Amino acid sequence: MAEKKKKAPRRSTMGKAAQRMVLGGMPQEEEELLQSPMRMALQSFVHDKIAMAGVICFVVIFLCCIILPFFYPINLYYQDVTQANVAPGFGMIKVPSALQGNAQDISVGSTFSVGLDKDGTVYEWGTLPNDKLRSIPSSEETGRLIMVSAGLDHVLAANEEGQVFTWGNNRMGLEQVPMQLEMGGTPIKQLEAGYQISLALTEEGKLYSWGSQYLLNISVPDEVQGSIAKVAQSTNMVMALTEDGRIVPLVSGSSSAYVNIPEEIQGDVVDFDLSDESGAAVTSDGRIHTWGNNINGTCNVPQELQGRAVSISGGRYHYTVILDDGTAASWGDNTHGQASAPAMDAPVSQVDAGYYATYAIDENGNVSSWGLDGYLMGTDNLGRDIFRRLLVGGRMTMTVGAIAVVISTFIGILVGGISGYKGGKVDNILMRLTEIVSSVPFLPFCIILSSILGNSISETQRIILIMVILGVLSWPGIARLVRGSVLAEREQEFVTAAKALGVKEFGIIFRHIVPNIITVIIVNATLDFATCMLTESSLSFIGFGVAEPNATWGNMLNGAQSGQVIENYWWRWLFPSVVLGLCTISINCIGDGLRDAIDPKSKER
Amino acid sequence: MGKGKYLLKRFIYIIFVFFIISILMFFIYKSMPGDPVDAMLGSLRTSMRPDAYQELYDRTAEQLGVNQPLPVQYFAWMSNMLTGNFGYSTQYQRPVIDVIGSPMLNTILLNLLTMIVVFVISVPLGILTAVRKNGVFDKAVQVVTIIGYSIPSFIIALLAIFAFAVKIPIFPISGVRSPGMDAGGLQGTLDMLWHMALPVLVMSVSGIGGITRYVRAAMIDVLRMDYIKTARAKGLREKTVIYVHAFRNALIPVVTITTWWIIGLFGGSVVIESVFLWNGLGKMLIDGLMNRDFSIVLTMQMFYVLLSLAGNVIMDIAYTLVDPRVRLEN
Repeated sequence: MAEKKKKAPRRSTMGKAAQRMVLGGMPQEEEELLQSPMRMALQSFVHDKIAMAGVICFVVIFLCCIILPFFYPINLYYQDVTQANVAPGFGMIKVPSALQGNAQDISVGSTFSVGLDKDGTVYEWGTLPNDKLRSIPSSEETGRLIMVSAGLDHVLAANEEGQVFTWGNNRMGLEQVPMQLEMGGTPIKQLEAGYQISLALTEEGKLYSWGSQYLLNISVPDEVQGSIAKVAQSTNMVMALTEDGRIVPLVSGSSSAYVNIPEEIQGDVVDFDLSDESGAAVTSDGRIHTWGNNINGTCNVPQELQGRAVSISGGRYHYTVILDDGTAASWGDNTHGQASAPAMDAPVSQVDAGYYATYAIDENGNVSSWGLDGYLMGTDNLGRDIFRRLLVGGRMTMTVGAIAVVISTFIGILVGGISGYKGGKVDNILMRLTEIVSSVPFLPFCIILSSILGNSISETQRIILIMVILGVLSWPGIARLVRGSVLAEREQEFVTAAKALGVKEFGIIFRHIVPNIITVIIVNATLDFATCMLTESSLSFIGFGVAEPNATWGNMLNGAQSGQVIENYWWRWLFPSVVLGLCTISINCIGDGLRDAIDPKSKER
Repeated sequence: MGKGKYLLKRFIYIIFVFFIISILMFFIYKSMPGDPVDAMLGSLRTSMRPDAYQELYDRTAEQLGVNQPLPVQYFAWMSNMLTGNFGYSTQYQRPVIDVIGSPMLNTILLNLLTMIVVFVISVPLGILTAVRKNGVFDKAVQVVTIIGYSIPSFIIALLAIFAFAVKIPIFPISGVRSPGMDAGGLQGTLDMLWHMALPVLVMSVSGIGGITRYVRAAMIDVLRMDYIKTARAKGLREKTVIYVHAFRNALIPVVTITTWWIIGLFGGSVVIESVFLWNGLGKMLIDGLMNRDFSIVLTMQMFYVLLSLAGNVIMDIAYTLVDPRVRLEN
């Protein structure tokens, strides 16, 4: 096998030489004899199974990183603590079939949802943030429940007698249900479980709140207490709607835009809700008014909804309204599809929007849901979707690697070409320079440079800096290689011919000699690409490469250094590791395959 | 040219390179934004009266010599370096020379142990796979080694921590010694070895991957030579042919690559030390950079430069040792 392979190139070059002699270099019909070394190499490369597997693997990863971000857009600055460390998996808005046609109340929690059917049975689905959520109180204990509400990591429920129950997270005073509510007696009008806080509104219009006082310090003015029609909460605000149609903020010290409720709607509001940084209210004429910071389009109410709204519900960055014809419509952030309300069969009687999803219950008790269904690869400690970051991170890692390789190959060809062709003193000086650069300890030097130079520059400049550092420090290998090949080629006849024709030295080196050794350069550049990607990842991993919020595969692993993360949140390190590992393995396989294809001798190894 | 003369020439050249790199480092360090005097005085600025502070500032600036022209500063710094005065660490509030000792020992121990493990495993493995070229064992080793040297060490570190410190907790996650463990002797050594197990394992994996492949390739090249055929034809035992005739000749390319690997090993242990919180030079370098303690950073950098230059010399000497035919010329 090896013998045969070895013979093939000899025959083709001999054949070529003979043909050239006879026919004077005219185009030939006999393809097989004319095969150029390049095509031979290509053919043998294509037949190399490992190398081809590498090519396919790399191309798939590459295409995913280039194309998929268009379908899964990402806002690099986005963070959300309520979505932190969510395990991979779907089914967050997959309503249990037992609830269909029988739904009483549904509430969206951070990454899970709670539903109640008409018999008072509680259902939970989605990714539960903690195991305490599983301990739903038994029906003997609670009686017939009529109302539920899900928060970040706890659930509230109320029964017909007005008794309130809570389960899930029981720290921060969340388990301390006020005595009056524990005893019951007054029917409950509304329950709101929020971010480490619980709110309950009785039919008498009296608001009770308990939970963490650090995050939200709720104070209900005396003139409001007892006449509240509805309360709404977000992570940093609680507001109440009074029975005379006014909206009153119950937390002071928030940003002015948020509490700056339009004066003209005060007294005319029939329903309202809050998103993370804005509020929206429906007035009696069916118009929708918004105020606050317009983040992700939460304040851009579609014109066709104006004058038709009946009631409203808000999530983190979206709103859903029920219109007077019984349909539901949503607007705002559509990253997870939460602003794309589907068409429903029957008129909607109740909607609950929360976090990134919405549920609509129609008159027959059927439930439709839209919005965040889950994360393919989970989320990190700041609630960012790992899958999306992996895609843009791959793009960044590959870009940095590729540009670094282009820089180093360019310098390497330049130095190696001149040094090899000129020889003598120039060669000596350039080779000493090469030696100096290659004696610089690579990784420590990169770390020092990026931390010293990278301190006072913007993120984009920092990325460019990393590329340049990698490129400028990794050219000696390729320069030596090019020099060696040029030394061998410069005595060839075509060089003498070019000289005789009066081609300038620069032209001879870069237009005549370099194209002849391009195969060697390509192989080396391929392997260098893998090395540069690795170095970039290592740098980012220890925090001296590309910095947050820009994602690279290296800095995604930065947060996964502690044993606690490695143990509890496996998805945060496993996915980036696997992709990076696969990518470098496949590039190395490609490089090895290319080398074997170009140098048939090395195949015998 | 005699060996002595060659080595002398080489030595002079290396000193030259050392100075060039040191000048480079010094000027990068100097071009950095921030006032070193303020950094050294730290919080005194807010706690002292302005005029008293100014006086202290001037005195410190005088001591540090920051007002002098750059070349003068460079020579002052360099002569300090050469006499073993590496400056004052603002982070530890002690001279650098006092804090550098134990991390240096830790790093050298870690790398030395890794080297031993890598050579003990990869050289025999490389020879074995070369002798049984294209067999099942060879193919399997080929696959494993390409994976070993492709995967970045920090990923192997994460996997190793997950497997051997979290799921099966037989090794400690990080550190050099158990807390409260200051016993010397056998017990102390065992404790340190126990802490070293994971870092050494991780650093060995990529080393084994690379070196095995090089040894194998070099052996295959040599085994094709005519003198091997001659040796076999003489009726020498196969063991003698492989270990005496072939292996010595295969060592030359291996020596080159090994030197580069060892230099890279010290640099690469920066990452591993930061993952395993190993109190070594790499961690010291990173801590120094984080705290803007540049006396430490510069000392570290010069140490790494010196190490890699020494590596070059050792490579030259090693050539002559493994192959007497090599003439020590350019």
